[in-house]
Amino acid sequence: MVLRIDSLVHRYPNGTTALANVSLTVEAGERVAVVGPNGAGKSTLARHLIGIARPTSGTVEVNGRDAAELGIADLARSVGFVFQNPDNQLHAATVAREVGFGPRNLGFSADRRTALTEWALRVTGLTGETDSHPRHLSFSERKRVALASVLAMDTPIIVLDEPTTGQDHRSVALLEELLGDLHKRGKTIIAITHDTDFCAENFDRVVVLAEGYVRWDGPVERWLEGAEDPSESAFEQPQMTRLGQRLGWRTPVVTLDSFLDQLTDHAETGVCPRRPAP
Amino acid sequence: MIEFRDFSLTYPTGSRPALREIDLVVPRGQFCAVVGAEGAGKTTLAGVISGVVPHMTGGASKGSARVCGRLLTETPPSELVGEVGLVMQNPFSQLSGARFSLREELAFGLENLGVGRAEMIRRVERVMADLRLTALADLSPYELSGGQQQLLAIGSALVMRPAVMVLDEPTSQLDAVGTGVVFDALETLRAQGVTVVLFEHRMERLARCVDRVLVLDEGRTAADGPPADVLTDPRLADWGVAPLRYTTAARRAVGRGLWEEDRPLPVTLEAAADGFAAALKSARTTGGL
Amino acid sequence: MDISPRSADDSPVHRLNPLTKLVFAVTVTVSAFALTMTWWPLLLFCTAVLPMVIASGTLRKFFPVLLALWVPIALTVYLIQGFFYPETSRVVAEIGPLELKYEGLVFATQTALRIMVLMGGFFLLLLTTHPGALMSAMTQRGMSPKTVYVVSAALQIAPALAGRAQGILHAQQARGLPVKGLRGRIRALVPMAGPLILGALTDVGDRAVAMETRGFGTSRRPTFLTEVSDTSAQRVARTVMGLCALTAVVANVLGVLR
Repeated sequence: MVLRIDSLVHRYPNGTTALANVSLTVEAGERVAVVGPNGAGKSTLARHLIGIARPTSGTVEVNGRDAAELGIADLARSVGFVFQNPDNQLHAATVAREVGFGPRNLGFSADRRTALTEWALRVTGLTGETDSHPRHLSFSERKRVALASVLAMDTPIIVLDEPTTGQDHRSVALLEELLGDLHKRGKTIIAITHDTDFCAENFDRVVVLAEGYVRWDGPVERWLEGAEDPSESAFEQPQMTRLGQRLGWRTPVVTLDSFLDQLTDHAETGVCPRRPAP
Repeated sequence: MIEFRDFSLTYPTGSRPALREIDLVVPRGQFCAVVGAEGAGKTTLAGVISGVVPHMTGGASKGSARVCGRLLTETPPSELVGEVGLVMQNPFSQLSGARFSLREELAFGLENLGVGRAEMIRRVERVMADLRLTALADLSPYELSGGQQQLLAIGSALVMRPAVMVLDEPTSQLDAVGTGVVFDALETLRAQGVTVVLFEHRMERLARCVDRVLVLDEGRTAADGPPADVLTDPRLADWGVAPLRYTTAARRAVGRGLWEEDRPLPVTLEAAADGFAAALKSARTTGGL
Repeated sequence: MDISPRSADDSPVHRLNPLTKLVFAVTVTVSAFALTMTWWPLLLFCTAVLPMVIASGTLRKFFPVLLALWVPIALTVYLIQGFFYPETSRVVAEIGPLELKYEGLVFATQTALRIMVLMGGFFLLLLTTHPGALMSAMTQRGMSPKTVYVVSAALQIAPALAGRAQGILHAQQARGLPVKGLRGRIRALVPMAGPLILGALTDVGDRAVAMETRGFGTSRRPTFLTEVSDTSAQRVARTVMGLCALTAVVANVLGVLR
């Protein structure tokens, strides 16, 4: 496994507990969405994955090595973190230099740097902006520059903090396509998000954090099956899931495609789609 | 309440107009959403309605834009205080930076307007209760999370009781509970006769709550009408706006004979469920597909 | 460190007008420095500052804060004045080439006690006064709202900037930026300063808009959420305290009470 978190506790100096007790393992190539209400500890958990937070107790292991011992600089070779706010990192005079910053820090060869930068710019749809000043781009584009700058570091694990926030339809579509591409390349993808439609369409596994605990961890369709009444919960279930429920289907619908398939089945057989017998 | 006549605006640094020939009349008490791709002119429109653009940004305009009967190009934002409330995208930079608790931050605008203390306390407490901020009243605004700061920014505008409320993506950092709280507050405003103009990406909330959706595309009005019409427009994705999944599902089901062709495409869960249930029923009575 | 009172804290001292406490802090400080008797600041501390602290019920917060800041300063003063007192003086002890001087120690004692009074007076103010109340008291006394705004914003800018700088540092470190050693620090300068400055500029622009739409700087007469009570007794007390401070200064100039 690429990531093992064991009994992680994080308490702030003022006594607030951000993570009460979190254990979690992630295998290589998994797509994990971390969801939870505001203040659940999602961001704190992510900070532990890149070593910028230190456990009060418990351990975080990345590729079998203790994150606390590795330090931030070494962890940067394994875990790429795309922060929510791109403006906290953009500093270079051109998009290409900004994207090349991480690979340079990691000491990659010039050839590898060029190849990675080109690839990262292409998959984020920024090839046309190579020589633009990052500050002259729109928010969506700046957010994509930040994403490209992390992709160019070629880390096996990529963590995204609220990647859809403030993104318009085109940017989200591009991101979804990119996530599929990264998955095919065998990358491990972890996203913190409160966008359940995005989560249902692009992730296999859901980890729900609430009040510093893991409240749920499992396949996305099982989660949707058991998710509480959305009016009481911090989540709004995906549109397709709620539609399936309204139609009286007992198998939770996850994606738009699976909805259409189940709809066709229902029409052909006249039988409500239900969960196959265990 | 809001009245734009053939209004265009070009920023000093812009080669093309940010807004082109906008004709828009929003009557008192209407809840209007504005959607569009990034760069379509949404933030500019929000700025014009609140008097910020062009007064604080510069820019040349054509046509006329009025709010509460006042010509916006001739009215600086300071004269619109209390009439137009503005909530911008980044909550952090809207903090006064000079108040030491959430409660004082909420009162900041009222203090500047010279609202009496008893009235001020009443309004501040009311807004804190509506936005579920009462438990945080004594915290420093800087101690709050992004979502809490966002609620505070909305509260700071609500507390001024403006006749027109302009909100630019006010719930981007909020979870479903926080978003629900904000939309409840906005619906209350509408009930009180406040005109609400909301710039937002979350289509499902819009489809349920607003009276009207305006689509901006490259500074122009691409579509304008009730959500059930605008959000089912086949050109919506071309304008850079995500169609609701209900709509997409129904549109694709039409090809499979699982959505009646003459039935309007749905924008709400209820309409989608009714439509698909009807289609399934007729599929059954006709003996499958 | 946040030492402001919580809303539950209350005492007669908390309820005093912030200006009364400000005048008190200034008066004890001026008197402590104006009169030259070595023991005078200690007397002042015990008879004026301490009773007020006890009356405010903040003794348990007051002493840790005072000691944490005062002890290092006092030690420094003792070291510098004890060993390096400029005038020729009686030597109390010799440590290697250094001579510990009697007059130096006396002077250090006096200076340290004076600083204790200064810190005591102002900590009392901070421990029992919500900063917002102090700011509205200043505005109500006719200080310009813009000046008061600058003062309050300055009080909070450091934590705000520090938070942002930390976010930027983390973002760059996560991209492999080495920040250890002198070279690392120099290399980190541009990737740190760029986003910090540009972010601050963006904030300033947005904040200007927000302030405008919230009516800041209008010619209207402002009102205040934080009620600042004042009594004629306090007004008299402030005048008396001002006179005391003045008397101490005059005494200093005339050279009496040595």
